[in-house]
Amino acid sequence: MGIGYVVGVLGGALLAHAAYATIQYRAVLKITEEEFSRPPVDVMMQLLLGLALCMWAGVSVPAKFVSVLPHSEENRIVSLPANMDFMIFNHRGRALPSDADLKLKI
Amino acid sequence: MAATTAISTATAAAEEARLLRLEEQAEHGGGGAWEYLSLARRLRARRPAPVLRLGLSLLNDASARSRLASEQWTLYEQVAVAAMDCQRVDVAKDCIGVLSKQFPGSTRVGRLEALLFEAKGDWAEAERAYALILENNPFDQIAHKRKIAIAKAQGDMSVAVDYLNKYLELFMADHDAWRELAEIYVSLQMYKQAAFCYEELILAQPTIPLYHLAYAEVLYTLGGLENLQTAKKYYASTIQLTGGKNTRALFGVCLCSAAISQLTKGRNKEEDSSELQSLAAEALLKDYKQRSPSKEALIAGMLKNMKLS
Repeated sequence: MGIGYVVGVLGGALLAHAAYATIQYRAVLKITEEEFSRPPVDVMMQLLLGLALCMWAGVSVPAKFVSVLPHSEENRIVSLPANMDFMIFNHRGRALPSDADLKLKI
Repeated sequence: MAATTAISTATAAAEEARLLRLEEQAEHGGGGAWEYLSLARRLRARRPAPVLRLGLSLLNDASARSRLASEQWTLYEQVAVAAMDCQRVDVAKDCIGVLSKQFPGSTRVGRLEALLFEAKGDWAEAERAYALILENNPFDQIAHKRKIAIAKAQGDMSVAVDYLNKYLELFMADHDAWRELAEIYVSLQMYKQAAFCYEELILAQPTIPLYHLAYAEVLYTLGGLENLQTAKKYYASTIQLTGGKNTRALFGVCLCSAAISQLTKGRNKEEDSSELQSLAAEALLKDYKQRSPSKEALIAGMLKNMKLS
């Protein structure tokens, strides 16, 4: 968890630095009056590295992944809910005496 | 979408285990009563006795009740229904009294009052109450469903089927109603109609293995070569969806293939899926060996009789 956060912050900082470097580069290009085609290689490397670090942090920082497969052990469906909208009261509950001192105190 | 509805309408193994654990814990005074009641409500589990006991202990405790704030009204409703289910009409009446004082003129409380008439067996009065609700809102699904339930409670299954069919013409996407209709048809031994309902359910929620299983069972009961072959396929899909943990489906595959081989005796032209039944038999044997070794010999003998292992 801790390492994930540090890596995420590092990745974010790298991305920010890449943006800053690109702006600087364009400023230099403006002075030398050259056409901007693409950022320099070291900025590209920073971008890729920052992306990879951010992705790793994004996957590792949140808690464990929950399985989405319907046949996985956690999602295995074992029972349907009681159909409460259609419930009827003709059952053995009538014959089973329930605790008489269960009372709502108002 | 399908997956989320499946999760919200059916209970996964882990959640059911959690519900039972919380119940055990709360019943022995280990706390967690509110979590238990919330989970029971979310899973729509019908466990009236513990809900009544734990819910009342929360409601009678003024500090616990004030901690729940506005959630307490849901709890009053839950406890009222549980009390009716336990035939404690007096407790239900008290809960509904509190609710109707808090929310005068509410339809939801009106439905609870009608439900109380049902619990007392006062059918005419309950019908009148639902008719009043339906007059104000003709599309009140719960009131429609309760009218069906009243017919069912009086043992008048043909009227209940009639009402349900009419209801399903209006609300076709209501799978609870389809399920109820399927179960009523099965209880009336009208398997063809039940099979239609289960087809509808499988279309609506294809990830719930229990519908596949129920459909397969209905088809197996209907009999006939074609139905048996379809039933076997649905048993197989149940096995796939449950990861082979459903004993009933494993037995189903074995029984289906035994019945099919008996029907096609003599003209044994295609033994296409012979691997399926032998694998199912193997899985059954392994399961029994692990969980109930004393019955393993019985199962082995039965499978041998069916010429499966």
